[in-house]
Amino acid sequence: MDISVTLINGLNLAAIYGLMAIGISLLWSSVGMINMAHGATFAASGYAAWLVADATKALVLAAFGKGLLTTSLMAGITLTAGAGFGALFGALIYLLAFLPIHDKPNFPVRSLIVTLAINLATVQGLLWYFGPKQKNLPKIFGTGKLEFLGLSARYDQIGAILATAVILGLTLFWLKTSRKGLEIRAMMQNPEGAVLSGISVRWTALPVTMLTGALAGLAAILLSQTIFVSPTSGTMPLIKGLTIALLGGLGSVPGAVAGAIIIGFLEAIVGAIPFLGQRYVLFATFLFIIIVLIIRPRGLGGLLDEARK
Amino acid sequence: MTKFYEIGQRPSEIILHPDGDAPLHRRRLPFTRRHLLKWRSRTNPKSLQQERMLADKRPLWWALGLGALAITAPFLTNASLTIAAIFCMFAAINVLWTLVIGTAGIFSLATLAIVGIGAYASAGLNVYLGLPWPLMFVAGGVAGLIVGGFLALPSTRLDGLYYALLTMGFAEICRVFVQQLKALTAANGAINNVGSFIPEDWQLQRPGLLLGFAGAFVILLLALLIFRIVNSERLGMLLQTAREDEAFAEATGIDYRRARLMVFLISSTGLGVIGAFYAQFYGSISPSIFSLDQLMLLFAMIVIGGLGRSEGAVIGTAIVVLIDKGLLGLGPLRILLVAAIMLAVTLFAHNGLVGIREQFRGWRNRKKSEARARRTEKGGEVMPEEAIEFADKQEIYYRRFQKRLRDRLKALITPELIEEHRLRPLGQHSDALNRVLNHFRRGEVADKYAIMRQPDQFHAYKIVAFSGVRGAPPRLVDDKIYDDINQAYHAVFLLRVNDLMES
Repeated sequence: MDISVTLINGLNLAAIYGLMAIGISLLWSSVGMINMAHGATFAASGYAAWLVADATKALVLAAFGKGLLTTSLMAGITLTAGAGFGALFGALIYLLAFLPIHDKPNFPVRSLIVTLAINLATVQGLLWYFGPKQKNLPKIFGTGKLEFLGLSARYDQIGAILATAVILGLTLFWLKTSRKGLEIRAMMQNPEGAVLSGISVRWTALPVTMLTGALAGLAAILLSQTIFVSPTSGTMPLIKGLTIALLGGLGSVPGAVAGAIIIGFLEAIVGAIPFLGQRYVLFATFLFIIIVLIIRPRGLGGLLDEARK
Repeated sequence: MTKFYEIGQRPSEIILHPDGDAPLHRRRLPFTRRHLLKWRSRTNPKSLQQERMLADKRPLWWALGLGALAITAPFLTNASLTIAAIFCMFAAINVLWTLVIGTAGIFSLATLAIVGIGAYASAGLNVYLGLPWPLMFVAGGVAGLIVGGFLALPSTRLDGLYYALLTMGFAEICRVFVQQLKALTAANGAINNVGSFIPEDWQLQRPGLLLGFAGAFVILLLALLIFRIVNSERLGMLLQTAREDEAFAEATGIDYRRARLMVFLISSTGLGVIGAFYAQFYGSISPSIFSLDQLMLLFAMIVIGGLGRSEGAVIGTAIVVLIDKGLLGLGPLRILLVAAIMLAVTLFAHNGLVGIREQFRGWRNRKKSEARARRTEKGGEVMPEEAIEFADKQEIYYRRFQKRLRDRLKALITPELIEEHRLRPLGQHSDALNRVLNHFRRGEVADKYAIMRQPDQFHAYKIVAFSGVRGAPPRLVDDKIYDDINQAYHAVFLLRVNDLMES
């Protein structure tokens, strides 16, 4: 097996899981809610993007003909639809799982249950409405291969990696520089202190849920370049995102990035080793995470005091 | 004798009226010091009769519910009978899971994994090594104990959610591992033709189904018995202390970590036995038992019922199993229904369906006290909840009288009355002013004022207030000096009026 393929595969997986994990991690650290409906957001925004792309495809083709312009326009439409619907779904999660119960007794467990129920309902609803058949999204990065320094990678892999880097950079930049970002970071460091300084929990939680929803929507579009959209397609990214967020230490963005890279490479390497193969990927990942968690109970990045309890 | 309206909780209590001299005679359960029902004796202070009240009615509800299930089962159709058996089996699993989550406080999601391992171990031993079926339960229990011991090691080290994830990962590993096993590849990871307590020619026949239900029912009863023994005896008491305050529990010498491990091991063993039963009941075992969907459905059951209570586990299981297995015609919609119920219950109830009663009572009490606070003003009167603190009940009536008197006098005070007093502080007064002044004269010393002539000065007065305590001197009210005694009288009057209006 070629080492370059392993590398690119690893980075590709790391990019997409990283997007999911950072969404989960961010939501936990600022709002104190484990979002089990992240996978539902993923699947639902995949379907929304498919619907929009399907509806506009003929129109765009008729207007601009076949060419780079059409591809880039379709890419824009698909990404916007995915991210937009993801944000809307995030707002729905906010309305159902945060707003009614955030000041009630045992909020963490109850919000977890509510998001779990949303997940269950969404997956079954999609299955019921669209059927189990898989859908194909437009290839937003085109199809083809690129040879570079002896590395060979498909367009969609390179696109996913670059797009993730850009999205993450933008998100972190927004968190670092904007007023809302400051409020969110204050909420992450010390929720009570933030409230006492006049930061509204409700108006901080809404942008965070929408942002993480949009991240999940983008992850859905990016992953759908490699695999298809299906009602249950959100389950695996959810589990991966959760495990990576926990491996990195809940609430730690650098930890989540490191965890995503480690898991991505681990999966790619285990998949590439001949006598282990693709079937043992999950096995190896979980074994690794269990070992790490036993050695460091709060994950890689979660230094005991910084992580939200 | 006239019949009174029955109000309050009393009519719904179960009360016996034994003869006054009949001794309380309670049977103990054999080999234990426990009683079956919790009777409490008292003498009713109103009727002076001896009564015996049932303090805890839950055993009756359990007996009614389980008894109804056992009696109706033989009359059910084959399909319903299977559903009832599945309900019993899952209820048993959930009761033991409640023990782990509620009593021990370990957020473990490996329940079905342990059941599955028990099932696979016992089924494998039966099919490949010819273990007879009664020993399968032992094999399942041992397998559950071993896996439980392995899983329990990190449970005290990891935080709730981290441990939940770890156990979820464990279930996934089990699923993949079983599917990879070379020996089982032909059957897609399943073991079929497992020996069973149901004879072979009874399989899927009416007697076989009845026997299967009976077995599941016995398993449920055993699980409830284990729950009762663990949860409300020594281990449960230790853990309850630890739940309320870990540091306090540790300081009093309670090794709550060890107690948690014990509970975890006991319930794991039980789950392994249920696993063996599961394999026998279906005659086969497949990797789908390790799947996430199955786990989520199980989680929905205990969440709907209410975490941490055995009633909750059983009620939630009944609802979800009825929807999931009973309404097969709905297709994927039935899971949607389960999700909707889960959502509604979690949003509106603090702790599942069994917590609703308590929640409602808390809400009603809050509303009641709010309403009472709105319609009553205190003004020195004794509130009903304070009344029990007074040994001398006459004090309550005295204070009520004083309050009403003050209310009457307040109504008498008008600008004309004050003007009348200003003009003539001493001498003959109108009826209203006389009443007010008489009330002031009768008051406690602590409420009274005095006029103090300034030393070495003629016609210079200040007003002082008595402390009401012997030996403690009066204190100066303010520095104002009055040059006329009548002005000083009137100033004292105004102070008293002010105190009266504010009381």
